[in-house]
Amino acid sequence: MDVMEIRPDADPADALAAVAALRRLADQLEDVAVERAMRAGWGWPQVAEALGVTRQAVHKKHARRLIAAGVTLRRR
Amino acid sequence: MVLRFAEHARAIVRQAEQEAEEAGSPVIEAEHLLLAMTGEHGSEARDVLASAGLDRDGLRAALDREFRQSLSAAGVTLPAGGLPRASGDPARQAHLAASGKVVLERAVKAAAGQRQIRPGHLLLGVLGAQAGTVPRALALAGVDQACLAARARQALERGRP
Repeated sequence: MDVMEIRPDADPADALAAVAALRRLADQLEDVAVERAMRAGWGWPQVAEALGVTRQAVHKKHARRLIAAGVTLRRR
Repeated sequence: MVLRFAEHARAIVRQAEQEAEEAGSPVIEAEHLLLAMTGEHGSEARDVLASAGLDRDGLRAALDREFRQSLSAAGVTLPAGGLPRASGDPARQAHLAASGKVVLERAVKAAAGQRQIRPGHLLLGVLGAQAGTVPRALALAGVDQACLAARARQALERGRP
């Protein structure tokens, strides 16, 4: 990856589009990273703590799709 | 008067949910509605997009370019092969994102005084955006958004019962 370089003088349209794209990217990366962690045997509390969100939030967001994908989920 | 969705328009909204899922998005954005239009045969929306050289693959490529270019403004470069995919939720029902809701609102306005909301009205709803992912992707594809909207209006006029 290139060196992170935020351009403070970017055109407003480019700057706003960058924010929208980063949010989308973060969501996609979260889906992948949570799935990998749970497949590796992490529990919800650890994943939640690593993401800095509540256990309920991460469970609500990801549990159903991971169960559907056949990931064995640890209870604790 | 309650406006009703023509069958083609309903099919586009349904297909947009599929597009969102394929894109790994939990919500239906304006670009997913536009992608759905490129596959809706027999609709004036698809014909108008095709007349500007926009088929499904072309639009996807433009959207991908927009994503990469927008990220590059923040110094982020995606791997050439794209991101790894996460497992989706087959039972999930995607809801309309803010950008998707605005498309439907604009389509209802565009169809005012007519019997039905047709694909062309949905296209006008998408093309009404002044900023955001779709206008940027269209610009990158070299498509004149105002010209496309004018063609959509003409097509609706011609196809009016």
